Amino acid sequence: MMESGALKEYLKNEGATLIGVGDVTRALTGEIVHLNRGISIAVNKNLNTDTIGLLLKLQQLAVTWLRKKGFKALLIPPDSDRKVDKFISKLYRLVSHKAAATCSGLGWIGKNGLLINREYGSKLTWGTVLTDAPLETDRPVSESECGDCELCVKHCPSGALKGYLWSMGDPLKELVTYEKCRSLKEERTVLSGKPNCGLCSMICPYSRNGSCRTGSGVEN
Amino acid sequence: MMIDEAKKKEILDKLKNGVIQYDEDACKEGAQEAIGGGMDANEAIFDGLVAGMEEVGRLFEAQEYFVPEILMCADALYAGLDILKPHCKQMDLGVKGSVVIGTVEGDVHDIGKNLVKMMFDVAGFHVYDLGRDVPLDKFVEEQLRTDSELVCLSAMMTTSMIGMPKVIEKIKEKNPECLIMIGGAPTSKELADKWGADGYAADASNALKEAIKMVSFLKKLRDEKMQKQ
Repeated sequence: MMESGALKEYLKNEGATLIGVGDVTRALTGEIVHLNRGISIAVNKNLNTDTIGLLLKLQQLAVTWLRKKGFKALLIPPDSDRKVDKFISKLYRLVSHKAAATCSGLGWIGKNGLLINREYGSKLTWGTVLTDAPLETDRPVSESECGDCELCVKHCPSGALKGYLWSMGDPLKELVTYEKCRSLKEERTVLSGKPNCGLCSMICPYSRNGSCRTGSGVEN
Repeated sequence: MMIDEAKKKEILDKLKNGVIQYDEDACKEGAQEAIGGGMDANEAIFDGLVAGMEEVGRLFEAQEYFVPEILMCADALYAGLDILKPHCKQMDLGVKGSVVIGTVEGDVHDIGKNLVKMMFDVAGFHVYDLGRDVPLDKFVEEQLRTDSELVCLSAMMTTSMIGMPKVIEKIKEKNPECLIMIGGAPTSKELADKWGADGYAADASNALKEAIKMVSFLKKLRDEKMQKQ
């Protein structure tokens, strides 16, 4: 086992909001199963900064750090920054940032289908770095902490959320009817030029916690 | 400005190691330096980038590299190739060098096809890439239209592979000279022979190996030719 504190400290100093390490073997397919440590990196979405740029920079730093030590590392960029014309981009969809984040103990998948962190809710942007370095792992989150709360389910304008509780043991349970969510976004794109909805993220009590704490610009 | 041998070797090493260590920035930098230093672009490609890919093939066989590393190496190779390609002189190897390539109807898997395409790109072939899920007749039409001497058919699934013999038959009927290579998991040497195909590769890594062999052969031809001059 390799100590992972130094890497975490380094990335936090460079601007990572959260960072965790998990054993992601269960979430990988054959092509990449040799890279079974997932480093989950999250950056708090902030309107006036380049969140994606910062996240990519952090991922690149992690890759360089690992490779200098002689390990393999594969950068899975955030979902909104995927260049499709690359060879390696074919493998991106084999890796789920949400699965990596739950394995790394940074949150659970909420009734809104998004990764929810206790402190920041679902307002984080996620990136993953896979590696074969035997880093010590954090304790995974295996059950939903949404409880009885159904705010997102009740307020979803497309009625796409089913209200199920997620569990790591049942990863195939469909929490969201993505068809409904997608068609609403398409409708809105036609009307306003933007697909943005995000109500299920905004209304989540955990997200609102996060916004109070970080919106003032004070980092704790 | 011409550069000395030591600098040249440094640049070639940078390109080679850039591919092996899947470092796109190193490949871009090496390619820029090669152009800036007035190096022959073909030499930079073959003795730099392709030499690196040959080593990658070896690392794959030794099971030190797996599919993700190969794909990242391929991306690094392209990063260098994109810069060097416009400076390439047409290689005179006695072949016109154009190839029609695609994944057959009903199949959307194209990693292997793209790796093979890359090696043709490197070798200076003109590549007519039909993409994936390509209607069978399109291969025949495109071969006739472009008069390519090589057609590569790829399939990952047995159900889509069964379209291959029809394409081979139609092409050979209209143009017996054309060489046909088939590839993908369900194909085999026996099937290739039975259907009258001229070559075959089982999967992406094998296709890559076959294509590397082909390019290495071209490289040898080029070296021999240069020695004669």
